Amino acid sequence: MSEDFLKLSDIHITRAGKTILHIDHLHIQSGQFVNIIGTNGAGKTTLLKVICGLLKPSAGSVVFNHILINSLNPWQKSNIRKRIGYIPQSTEYNSELPFTAREVAAMGRTSIKPLLTGLSRADYEHVDFWMEKLGLNDQKNQTFRSLSGGEQQKVLIARAMVQEPLMLMLDEPTSNLDFNWKLRISRIVRELHQQPGLTVLMVSHEISSIPVNVDRTILLHKGGILADGNSEQVLTSAVIQDVYECEINIFETEGNKYVFSRELSRQ
Amino acid sequence: MDPFFYLIIFAGAVAGASTGFLGVYIVGMRMPFIGTCISHAAMAGTIFSCLLGIPPTIGAVTFSVFSAMSMAAIPPDKSRLDTNVGLAILFSFMLGLTFLGIGLVESSRSEILGLLWGNILFVQRKSVLAITAIALLLVLFGTFFNKEMKVLLFSRSIASATGVHQGFVYCLFLCLCGITLSVNLQIIGGLMIFSLITNPAAAAYQICRGHRAVVIAATLFGVLSTVSGFLVSFYFDLPTGACIVIVSTVIFALSVLCRLLSNAKI
Repeated sequence: MSEDFLKLSDIHITRAGKTILHIDHLHIQSGQFVNIIGTNGAGKTTLLKVICGLLKPSAGSVVFNHILINSLNPWQKSNIRKRIGYIPQSTEYNSELPFTAREVAAMGRTSIKPLLTGLSRADYEHVDFWMEKLGLNDQKNQTFRSLSGGEQQKVLIARAMVQEPLMLMLDEPTSNLDFNWKLRISRIVRELHQQPGLTVLMVSHEISSIPVNVDRTILLHKGGILADGNSEQVLTSAVIQDVYECEINIFETEGNKYVFSRELSRQ
Repeated sequence: MDPFFYLIIFAGAVAGASTGFLGVYIVGMRMPFIGTCISHAAMAGTIFSCLLGIPPTIGAVTFSVFSAMSMAAIPPDKSRLDTNVGLAILFSFMLGLTFLGIGLVESSRSEILGLLWGNILFVQRKSVLAITAIALLLVLFGTFFNKEMKVLLFSRSIASATGVHQGFVYCLFLCLCGITLSVNLQIIGGLMIFSLITNPAAAAYQICRGHRAVVIAATLFGVLSTVSGFLVSFYFDLPTGACIVIVSTVIFALSVLCRLLSNAKI
């Protein structure tokens, strides 16, 4: 068994007297692929922010790669976050600026290079390596804003990988994409997980198709962990019906699980 | 042309270049209102300097830097306050302080109104030296913090989640905004500063591909606006500030036209 890469204990976050996240105990091993699911407002994004130290819990401790991050000052926290590759939701970045795709990917090197230094030729070689690996050679000099949603997502993945991350955090990476791009991005993330020691944390509110090869699925509900285990254990009809408050059918084919609402199935 | 006009043209070029360069970040971060806000902070600072009997520049720069830095209090990831709303609140507060000051200091009204409209034709050599020194400071900032500023422009959330020291660099940028705008204000005035921050950068964002191209184009458009605006006003005997503002708007309109006529995907 791999060692624990991330340990959360007795985490509580309250807003206006209301608890929005309470995690008694969550350990994630190095190299795991963890899928965090839940309804809107279940606390998924809050959990990601706690893990990377952007949100300070009212109580509890977060240990990231053997370092207790609660007690660090903002500058030290920034240094810890240098090894987190973060792919945010599309509302979190400005896609209207005329940055080229290569410039956006190269932003990943900014995290790991010290202040007051520029990017070297070796840095750009690293950027080009990941752009080629993700099939972005033709888009390299195009502006990010002129790319399709799926291509933009690939550039953001390249940006995160250029950072040489220990952990990849993806916040609903396929939420605005069509079916074809959803599959392509999911495939890319699965392939990236083969990188030695790379821990992947993927947040999603979609349960209509559950990706294969996920080591672990965590179902958040009303700020707490309702179920934690492999997809078979977590995604049972009873649990999903309870959380999403609707009747569902689960179909399984070629190792993938597909969840449909009965109402839609009848239509 | 009298040699004195060369100094005016040089001062205009430096002010245009500085505001054009800053505009890339201010427009990119969608907070062009910061120009107006800092102008009024500088006015309030000038008035309170008069009241306290200290040099007006000290008050103007102090008020400007503090008002710009207060924007750093709006965090990127957990704020319920839009930056522009924050700037609007700050602007109204500074306007309130300005009018309070005007009521209290009767004698310096013309100086205060000069700050609002600017007086490039009465430029002094020491002011030109000051804006040139600040322009060089901007060049240093642009060189040494280029990679961090690019991430900040693209996404402050990504910057903070991935360990870019965005808080530090953002504060430094705001501080530089406060200093640059308050010192340039004495030459080109608050209303002209607003258009010189917004128009050249907005024009560059229309037609350029890549960050470096945007920075170079916005800086050149800033210089072009002030120099050609001044020359138009000189040869046709028109108000200088108005000509500069109109030329910068025409540059923006032409860049939109270029983009619409061009088939290139930018």
